[in-house]
Amino acid sequence: MSLLQVRDLHTHFISRNLDNEIRIAKALNGVSFEVSRGEVLGLVGETGAGKSLTAYSVMDLLKPPAKVVGGTVEFDGRNLRDLEAEDMNKLRGSEIAMVVQNPRSSLDPLTRVGEQLIRVHTAHTDTSESAARARAIEKLGAVGIPAPEQRMRAWPHELSGGMAQRVLIAMALMNEPKLIIADEPTTGLDVTVQAQILDLLRELVVTHNVAAMVITHDLGIVAHYCNRMAVMFAGRIVETGDVETVFDNPSHPYTRTLIASTPERLKEGKQKVLGGGAPPNLYNLPPGCHYVERCRFADESCNKPLSLDQVGDGHFAMCTRLDAVREGWPS
Amino acid sequence: MTEPLLRADKLTKHFVTPRTGQTVRAVNGVSFEMFAGQTVGMVGESGSGKSTVGRMVVRLLKPTQGSVTFRGRDIAPLRDRAVRALRSDLQMVFQDPWSALNPRMRVKRIIQEPLLLHSKLSDSERSDRVEEIARSVRLNTDLLTRFPGELSGGQLQRVCIARAIATSPGLIVLDEPTSSLDLSVRAGILDLLQELREETGAAMLFISHDLGTVRLVSDHILVLYLGHIVESGPMAKVFDEPAHPYTQTLLSAHLPADPRTQLHRHLLEGEIPSPIDMPPGCPFSTRCPLVRDECRTALPPMVDIGDGAQRAACIRIPEGSNQVPL
Amino acid sequence: MADLALDGAPKERSTIEKVWGKVVGISRRSPTSIIGFVIILFFGFLALLAPLLMPYDPIAANPNLILSGPSAAHWFGTDGNGMDVFSRVIFGSRFAFGIAIPVVIIALSIGIPIGLYSGYKGGNIDEAIMRVVDAFRVFPSIILALAVVAAAGPSLLNVVLVIGILDAPIFVRVVRAEVLALRSSSFVESGLIVGNPTWRILFVHLLPNAIQGAMAQTAVRAAWAVRISATLAFLGIGIQPPTPEWGAMIRQGAEFMVNGQWWVGIFPGVALILMVLGFNMFGDGLQDLLDPKRRSGGK
Repeated sequence: MSLLQVRDLHTHFISRNLDNEIRIAKALNGVSFEVSRGEVLGLVGETGAGKSLTAYSVMDLLKPPAKVVGGTVEFDGRNLRDLEAEDMNKLRGSEIAMVVQNPRSSLDPLTRVGEQLIRVHTAHTDTSESAARARAIEKLGAVGIPAPEQRMRAWPHELSGGMAQRVLIAMALMNEPKLIIADEPTTGLDVTVQAQILDLLRELVVTHNVAAMVITHDLGIVAHYCNRMAVMFAGRIVETGDVETVFDNPSHPYTRTLIASTPERLKEGKQKVLGGGAPPNLYNLPPGCHYVERCRFADESCNKPLSLDQVGDGHFAMCTRLDAVREGWPS
Repeated sequence: MTEPLLRADKLTKHFVTPRTGQTVRAVNGVSFEMFAGQTVGMVGESGSGKSTVGRMVVRLLKPTQGSVTFRGRDIAPLRDRAVRALRSDLQMVFQDPWSALNPRMRVKRIIQEPLLLHSKLSDSERSDRVEEIARSVRLNTDLLTRFPGELSGGQLQRVCIARAIATSPGLIVLDEPTSSLDLSVRAGILDLLQELREETGAAMLFISHDLGTVRLVSDHILVLYLGHIVESGPMAKVFDEPAHPYTQTLLSAHLPADPRTQLHRHLLEGEIPSPIDMPPGCPFSTRCPLVRDECRTALPPMVDIGDGAQRAACIRIPEGSNQVPL
Repeated sequence: MADLALDGAPKERSTIEKVWGKVVGISRRSPTSIIGFVIILFFGFLALLAPLLMPYDPIAANPNLILSGPSAAHWFGTDGNGMDVFSRVIFGSRFAFGIAIPVVIIALSIGIPIGLYSGYKGGNIDEAIMRVVDAFRVFPSIILALAVVAAAGPSLLNVVLVIGILDAPIFVRVVRAEVLALRSSSFVESGLIVGNPTWRILFVHLLPNAIQGAMAQTAVRAAWAVRISATLAFLGIGIQPPTPEWGAMIRQGAEFMVNGQWWVGIFPGVALILMVLGFNMFGDGLQDLLDPKRRSGGK
């Protein structure tokens, strides 16, 4: 049984333009996935595909004009969409923790690091201040921060990007979460620091048996740190499966393009670049497959409603032209 | 031996921070050469000074010390007016195509601006040339009448490249030209650069922190750390047999986008020191797994490795104990 | 069936519908700006059609009808020279626009180039310019205006020039702030790299991107110009009676107020208040629509 099960999630941006017309941007269009304890799910896709929005929708952190308009989010046996705002608040930061892209901007600049860690814990539990302090020091040590006792007194601006990200991860761990959602956790960090942070994250998944969802556009991270991956395009998951299966045997033409565009594959020089093109207009999406305008294999069948169909063991893809793609793809 | 197109000699750039008055030693004596038609990849982490070097090469920044000899002339001491005349020959493409183009100018005006400033073409000749350039960067000519805000990231970067090649420059500096683009778009831009390089024969200085991309496009690699070149050499040699401990650990931290490649990693601890508090001696001495006492006192010189094409700055190289255990 | 546009498909809208939609859209965001716009439009009509609307010559004195109260013949009564107040109030709108518009143009044409240059160059030049701007700001502009106009002589031209120059620092600040924000975006650098000289960077590249904030300020500054020119006239410096300018009329009316002849001063006063209010309300909406900071943030 998965810890988090998201079914058919729809999120829209509803606004009025200067002409007073109501405009609906369909940003998420039926996103379904699950994450279990002890595994890392990688959510990949291009800018605007809805990766971060999926996380914010799950966490109920959307601000108007964005709104979840359909679907279920089941977490540990509860449907989060039925929860009261107060209960959802309790859940966030305790059972589900989030690690975001700009670590320094998510720390309160006027509060010492230790104080922020303690607050996260005491806000969600009845622990005493001193117990929370001991715990904070322990967690800072656990994320590899040297001299954690002294670091408790540090101000956020004294931390480097990598250190700030560690503090954020320590903060996420304060309440022993069951699920960690990491949104581009290493974007903007240097390669050598990125490796440190990702190693830490994976170690936590294994030792604490938590579930993790990593949102990234870097296929290198997915290849080496995730167990399963889900490829998003224009608000839908178009392909999902075990990382090795998807890399060995990409089925959806978008996934194929993505993997063929990695420097490693380009280096092999097997094929010319196939990808590119503008993302589809979210205000006016095609009726069937959203990839249809960029796809060389599209025909009439692509205008019918689609479903995520099984193409292998635990491997699903949303495409009606799989056979044509398999035959026609240059190898 | 042919004369290099560009020779940077002991390039140095120090900034003084406005409020605290501290000196930021961004670039500290960088020397390298570039030949016509060559693509040099410059890699380094943030704070390594790679963008500053790029900006000094095209004289957007004036070096604090050192010289930049371009086509036999030192351009470092030139005044603004003289630099402007050089612009048709020295170009640059910036990281973020969304902010690199004037949002109030139509694409056509953006691309023809360098022609307007540097050539005496008539209006109709210029229009023809703009369309020709647009085609050569595979930009749909319908887009010429649009504003930048109506274009996608990949299209915008093609416009930036079109603008850079409009006057057929001899040298183009590309500062992280693909890092802000999505993967599939990135591949198209890299492909285009490759093609333009063959067509135009321009030398390119390709600045990036992404090792995979640099490996794909470069003939020659420069590895920067804290404003010093720690290693330079032919692409294949540097990637296959990195000599400097920093290059070795940098390459080992790279994640190839293929789950089947085995990672052999030596993870560095800590982070790149601040260019305000430069360590004395070797810039890498604070994190180097092979550090010795001597490393902390004097700056190690660049030494030849093997055939002399590859060079690195590490005192362990002559005795052969420069391999970091992976 | 012709009407297939039922579910979400974009329906063709007629021009009237589009214009009306825009009006409704703007009024939803900023209803006061519409009211302000209507007020300015009203005064604009008065100023344009003044010769047709005025029942009497605004400076024709009628010694037989001095200080007569509002009546069917003279709706707003007559003043101390026996001139028709209604005609004078209408004609005064020409002075109001005739001062406000050139003042704003002068202030813009001084403020914008200095703001562009100051923000772009930075360093000591910027520092020096900003100190001068600050000096203008801390000194009460009305006193400065009084002194200069008194020294230069109270002609309409002098009043316009002085107020225009005094108002320029506002635009220097606004434009400079926008340029500072733009300097970090690399299109300036990419303008330099193709060899643009400084003047092209300033006027071709920066100006079109930095001018919105200044434009958003124009209506508010017009209100200020109308107010301060009236104040000068009221204080007896600047435009002199019997010129049908509202400030001068209010000054004249103030003397009669104590004797109960309220109409001489009240009507131009109401006109002045309405027009300043109109410009300010419109200006507020203009800022909401044009100023990128106010539009996006809204905090």
